[in-house]
Order: sequence, then structure tokens, then C-alpha cells
Amino acid sequence: MSAAQSLAERQAAFMAQVLYEEAPLPQGWNARHAAGIEVYRGNYRSSLVEALKSTYEKTERWVGEAAFRRAAAHHVITNPPDSWTLDKAGASFDATCAELFRNDPEVAELAWLEWAMFEVFTAADFAPLDAAQFAMQTSEFGEEQWANLRLEFMPAASARMVKHDLRAIWNALGEDELVRVNASLESEQSVLVWREGERSTFMMGSAEEARAFLAAQSGTPYGEICMLLAGENPTEEQAHDAAMRAGALLGRWLNEGMIVSIKA
Amino acid sequence: MSSIPPFGGFGLGLRRTHYADFLDSDVPVDFVEVISENYMVDGGRPLRILEQVRAKHPVIIHGVSMSIGSAGGLDGEYLAKLKRLEQRIDPLWVSDHLCWTRTSAHNSHDLLPLPLTHEALEVVCDNIDRAQSSLGRPMLFENPSSYLTFPEDEFAEWEFLSEMVRRTGCYLLLDVNNIYVSAQNHGFSADDYLAGLPLERVRQIHLAGHTPKSPERDIVIDTHDREVCDDVWALYSKAMTIIEQPVATMIERDDKIPPLPELLEELDRARSLAKQAVPA
Repeated sequence: MSAAQSLAERQAAFMAQVLYEEAPLPQGWNARHAAGIEVYRGNYRSSLVEALKSTYEKTERWVGEAAFRRAAAHHVITNPPDSWTLDKAGASFDATCAELFRNDPEVAELAWLEWAMFEVFTAADFAPLDAAQFAMQTSEFGEEQWANLRLEFMPAASARMVKHDLRAIWNALGEDELVRVNASLESEQSVLVWREGERSTFMMGSAEEARAFLAAQSGTPYGEICMLLAGENPTEEQAHDAAMRAGALLGRWLNEGMIVSIKA
Repeated sequence: MSSIPPFGGFGLGLRRTHYADFLDSDVPVDFVEVISENYMVDGGRPLRILEQVRAKHPVIIHGVSMSIGSAGGLDGEYLAKLKRLEQRIDPLWVSDHLCWTRTSAHNSHDLLPLPLTHEALEVVCDNIDRAQSSLGRPMLFENPSSYLTFPEDEFAEWEFLSEMVRRTGCYLLLDVNNIYVSAQNHGFSADDYLAGLPLERVRQIHLAGHTPKSPERDIVIDTHDREVCDDVWALYSKAMTIIEQPVATMIERDDKIPPLPELLEELDRARSLAKQAVPA
């Protein structure tokens, strides 16, 4: 590094050394500096890989230690962290897994699940609305209020569609001896992630549950969720059936403690 | 800015492996130190545990990501979250390292060395002023271990630290192992280092293990993965002889963490050495 460089320039050059082996050594540096930078580069990579191993314990077990280490190293090289918290180093690792484990698509879904559970683990604390409170708050509701009902979920709860039975995979990973299961689903299902007290948890659900959950979470009123489930131009019977299914989903989210408040 | 009164005692870092020990029993420590960033979260189990431990012990919050040496300044979101944790926990004090960890584009999550120049000193002092002003209290900064020095250095590390303390009113967290590691790597005298510091500003001492030089690598690495070695114990004894005020001593272990009784045994050794090392 030349004397004319500012501290900011020196730090940018140093960071390039840490991130990229092929970055040329700054002016005035010698073999001793190169040996030192190798230690920093090693520390950087190992701390990030260890952070990923800690966040994605199940994914690591599923794919095996060596394959996971390769994927984690690839992830930290292609996604150098920019957040002050090491917790964010694992963000979008499911996309890396989708790219690297193309023949095993369940890996990316499992990684998504672990990340969602990791995020919800330290989300803001909340008090779930229980069924009795919900019943009391809605006891006087007319048709219009039901249609306008909006649900607020616990912070960082999430959902998506999956093509694999993540519950079966999760259970298999909980055993001392891992027995691989064929977890492919005949048709897509939903997985929902939330926190019960201090414990992250998840459940599988019908294909439409994630769609309904994500809509409700983004503020879509209950009436529109019923229409979403009914599809385009529903018959009266289809609309009635959709309303029944929406009611069942609402009851399930309430019973699982995922809802914290309602507005109408 | 208020001052930090001396606090003499012996403590350990709170690590996940030992949560149950700290929650379920009376661990014989005078304080615990936690890594700030692990608890700068919105909610959930980690904060619950920290609050329960805080109810039993004084707590020090020790950061690794403030990046006090960053030319681009401090991260406002980081400072706000640290302040929130500080208010929640009411720690004995808040500390971080003399280092930098990030540029505007990337974060290394490692404690990177600063060129010891006048420009870096200005940057560090400005950043410390901002951090202390944000927290409304003085902080402690730890001397780093390092694996290279810069051709453009204008200060010895102890001179840099002394000037930093003089200008900002901050205090020192003296990591005795870091002095040893850097002295081995850069060929300076650990005794000169100690003698050159404003020791009256030391409030805490860290003790840890390191990976020694090997035939393949002529660098000592600060790994915190093993017991404190005899040379570092000797340097600790020396420091305790020349530091006149009470200081808080802590064993740091971050990798290959043993069962708690082993760390408590190491802490007993620190107690015993501190007792023998009566200031001259």
C-alpha cells in the first residue's frame, strides 16, 4: 500500500486480500505480509462456514459434511457478507443449495426451512391471541366486519410451497441413524414456520395454505382470502366450500398461536 | 462523560454450551461477559437466558463488530441495537476491540489490523467519541492480536493505544494473550508494551490460549481453543504486579469449549496468581 493512499483505500485493498486469493498484494508488502493475510483469509472463511454449519445443522447432516462444506465455502465466496451480524451470513443459502444440489431438490427446501426457523427464533416477542379472546373480539361481527377482518401474525412467521415432505425428512434427521426417505410429494404442499414460546416450529399443510397465509400476512382481508381460495367465477357451492376452508385455516392458525391480533 | 470505577473480580465468557450450568447452579464467578452481537436481537430465547443470568451476576457486554477503525465511520443501526441491549442489561461496562471489521461493501467478521498512522488515530478517536456519546458512557477497548504490521506505521501499538485513551477518555481491556501473540509475531518486547500503556485505565484483563508457531507456519494464532500457556500466565502475573487498581480478570474460550469445571479451574489459577502478585 503506498503512503499516498487514504485509510479507506487501504482498507478496501486489505478487504480485497481477505476476500479474494487472486487480488494482487499491495505495494510494499512482502512474503511476511502474504503469510499474515493468509491467516486472516482463513479466519474469515472458517468463521463464515462455521456460522453456516451452526444455522444449517440438519441440511449438513442430510447432504453430508464434505458436500456441505463445499457448498458453504461456495456460498461465502459468492455472497460475501455485508451485515454487521454473522447471523445474516446464511441468508439465501437455499438459493446456493438449489444451484449446487440440482439433482436433490429437497436440499434447497430443507435449507429454506432451517433458515426460516433460524430467523423466527430471535424474532420480537409476542403474545398470541387465543381462541377465547378471538371469539370475544369477533362475537358481534356482522358480514362486513368478517369480510374486512385482517390478521396480524407473529413476527417473522413464514410460509412457502414445497415439493417434498419436510416433516418426514426432519423426523428422519432426528434419528441417531439417518435413514434416507423418499420424500417427494405427489403434489405440492405448504410449509408454515413460526415460534411456539421460545421454540421454532413448523407444520405441513394443504397446497392452498401458504397462499392464504402469505396473503393474510400481507394484509389481505379475510373476505378476499375466501375469494382467493374459491378461484375465478366460483359457483355458489364452490364459494361456500372456500369460505369453510378459509375458516378452517383461520382456526388452525389461531390454535397454533400464530395470530397476535385482529383488526376489522 | 462519566468514569468507570475499578471492579476487581474473576469471570468467564457466557457460551451456549454452559447456559444450563449458569441457569441451574450457582457458578462461582464475580461476573460474566457476553458477546454483544449474540444478544442484539429482537427477542426469543437468547435474550431470556441473558436476562436470567443477569439476575444472578453482573454482566459485561463485549462486542466484535463495532469496527471502531473503519474509515467509513460507525453503523448507525448497530449503535442503536447496542444501545438497546445496554439499556436492557445495564452491564458493568461495554467493550470492543481496536480493529476494523468492515468496509462500506463487505464485512469480514474478523478483527482486522489497523495501520498505526495519524490518520487511523483520528478515525478511531472520532468513532470512539461517537460510540461513547451514543451509549452515554465510556467504553473499554481491547488491544488486538495481529498477524502483520504495515510499512506505513507511525506508532508502536502501545503508543497508539495511549494516545487513543488520552484523546477519548476510554478505558482499556488488556488482553494479555494478545500482547504475547503479537509480540511473538512482530518481535517486540511484551514488557515494553506493558510499560508503555496507561495502566491506570485498565479495567479488565482477558486470558486465553493460542496456537503456537509450527514448522509450516511461522505465526502464532489467537485461537481461544485451549488452556492459557505458561508464558501468558507469567505475563499476567507481571501485569497484576504493576497495575495498581483492582481489575476484572476473565478466561476466554471460544472453540473446543470444555466442561465448565475445567474453565473454573483455570480461573482459580488466575485468582491465585493475582493474590500473589501484590502491586509494588
